[in-house]
Amino acid sequence: MSDAVVVPRPAGRAVRLAGATLVAAVLAFALIGPLIVPGDPFAQSLMQALGAADATAPLGYDHLGRSIFHRLAHALRLSPVIAVAAVLTAGAAGLVLGTLAAARGGWVDRILTILADALLALPGLLLVLIVLAIVPGTALGFWAGLSLVLWIEFFRLTRAATRDTLASPAVEASRLLGFGPVYVFRTHIWPEIAPMMLTAAAFGTATAIMAIAALGFVHVGMRAPTAELGLMMVELLPYWREAPLALLSPVVATFVLLLGLTLLAGSRET
Amino acid sequence: MTLLRAENITVSEGDTPILHPVSLHLDPGEPLVVLGETGSGKSLLAQAIMGTLPKDLSPKGRVVLGDRLLDAARPAGFRPLWGREIAVLPQEPWLSLDPLMRAGAQVSEAHRLVRGLGAAEARAQAQEDLARLGLSGAEDRYPHQLSGGMAQRVAIAAARAGGARIVIADEPTKGLDAARRDEVADLLLAELAHGGGLLVITHDLALARRIGGRIIILREGKVVEAGVTRSVMAAPAKEYSRELIAADPETWAVRRKPPAFAAVLTATGLAAERGGNQLFSDISFDLSEGRILGVTGPSGCGKSTLGDVVLGLVRPAAGRVERAPGLPPTAFQKLYQDPVAAFPRHRTLGRTLADVARHHGQTQCQIDALMPRLGLAPVLLSRKPGAVSGGELQRLALLRLLLVRPKFIFADEPTSRLDPITQKQVIGLLTETAEGEGCAIMLVSHDAALVGATVDHVLSLAAPQKHTELNAPIVAGALQ
Repeated sequence: MSDAVVVPRPAGRAVRLAGATLVAAVLAFALIGPLIVPGDPFAQSLMQALGAADATAPLGYDHLGRSIFHRLAHALRLSPVIAVAAVLTAGAAGLVLGTLAAARGGWVDRILTILADALLALPGLLLVLIVLAIVPGTALGFWAGLSLVLWIEFFRLTRAATRDTLASPAVEASRLLGFGPVYVFRTHIWPEIAPMMLTAAAFGTATAIMAIAALGFVHVGMRAPTAELGLMMVELLPYWREAPLALLSPVVATFVLLLGLTLLAGSRET
Repeated sequence: MTLLRAENITVSEGDTPILHPVSLHLDPGEPLVVLGETGSGKSLLAQAIMGTLPKDLSPKGRVVLGDRLLDAARPAGFRPLWGREIAVLPQEPWLSLDPLMRAGAQVSEAHRLVRGLGAAEARAQAQEDLARLGLSGAEDRYPHQLSGGMAQRVAIAAARAGGARIVIADEPTKGLDAARRDEVADLLLAELAHGGGLLVITHDLALARRIGGRIIILREGKVVEAGVTRSVMAAPAKEYSRELIAADPETWAVRRKPPAFAAVLTATGLAAERGGNQLFSDISFDLSEGRILGVTGPSGCGKSTLGDVVLGLVRPAAGRVERAPGLPPTAFQKLYQDPVAAFPRHRTLGRTLADVARHHGQTQCQIDALMPRLGLAPVLLSRKPGAVSGGELQRLALLRLLLVRPKFIFADEPTSRLDPITQKQVIGLLTETAEGEGCAIMLVSHDAALVGATVDHVLSLAAPQKHTELNAPIVAGALQ
């Protein structure tokens, strides 16, 4: 009976497009950049230390005379690959376990929920650090640790949405009509959770990239001489006065990538 | 003296008119009923008179209220009249009451803020209002502690507190059973006795008949017929009104009881409980092919649970349901109250139906053959459930069941959300299914007239607390 209140909402489509463009730009730089300007991210030339940009190093040189352009491209391949692998693993595990918990209920549900809650109580970065200490190989450790942290989100989302969907008259009708669990999952559950899963995946990827960079920044993640975003930032930090652009390039790249992923995630109507 | 006169009220959306010129007047002591199905524009008419239309709709016309002349195109002018001259009775009162506020405070607030009484005076007045409506002692209760009928009376008291002489009730009986519906009608009429005006907007023929006064029948934004309610109801002049009034279950011809065939199911000594409270116990009946069993009772008595027990969706606390031997597991089906909720909402209806047909070894031709039989246009198949009207969707739900060749259908209030004409159509199709397919049907409805005209046996469930004292077995149907 009152005037409808119109909540201002950014146009989802435009925001999504902006996010996708940013992510695509960063990935294009990482994948195509080194093909256009060939170079080695590890080749040192101390004569060029903190040098300005030239034809072989379009973004200048770092304190050890390595091309920042090629190190950045390498770093922008490494973090997203680990992050996407971790998100895929975590998403699959969360989807399967969440559906199982919702469909079975009872003990299965209780044990899985307790496990998820227990892991949720631990700080995520700490969990990644513990796994990094156990698993040999830093990239593998990051993948395992991040997967262990990220599956909880997918599990909780899937479980909550699936429980509601399974209790709906639509599912009851499908079951009465003789359809099995596969059909119910395909027609009822998946269309409900797919948009949520994609949002969670975009956020999860951003979280994972941030975690890798954060641990690199405090010297407990990737080891030198690996080119990694956090590690590059901390290595160049002492030279901020002499070479501000050198420090800014990994910062800007990380910011653009995370912004793109967040816009991609936040614009979805769920 | 006329309380309110509305002249040539029209509403349009952009350039498309959705309500054609309607004029009406309200006299003291004589109620006016606006009757129409969903989408007939009856609520738009009320909103245009109150100045509460959504912004994208533009009203035109004149409203004369006492000695004031208002322009419907300028809704801001109506605002000072809300509560003081025109009171609006909300559709579902328990949703419009503040859940965190005691009943007395909700009424005294209106006295204080709308009428400008002092705090103590407002409290005393609120107490008096509630006592007059038979709610003494309920002042300190929160809405969740009130029954639906009590909440409705609190909402009426709050709406009237501003001293408005004109009450507009928009679908006041939505979702109520017959007893509660009459209670609300009597309450509205009692308010009228003080010389006020009453405008009731409804699709419910029984309510219209009970309110009486004068009536305006709307269809697709146009006035079909207007006149004195009693004479219009007795002898409608226009074809649509005739059809609408004939669709009232009270005027339906009683169905002839078909001969009994083989039993489809036998239920013995069924009992069920919810949250530790017994809903019903010791219910036995059998149902044979082509027979329709009506289940009635007040809301919350376990009608739907009984159906779910028979379908095997809920385990009974005692007793058992035996299906006739040789029936496939999908022979028992359910027709839902809200058909939109019963279809996968992301899939087109055509795909859903094709899935069912394929799963049961039927072809697309089967669907195409059934569509015209149920009066459905093929274009509906390309839509999703949300984009189809309730009546069409309920027929599509019936079509989906027919693809399975069911032997038993549990129809849970299948028409409570439909307009009278659509309701008659759906119930007609259901009885045809019973006869044509040899299907047993268990029909839940709160409409006594509908049940009386349609079913072969009636099973009445009592309210749970009374039922626990009742030990005699309830047997319905002929146990041969």
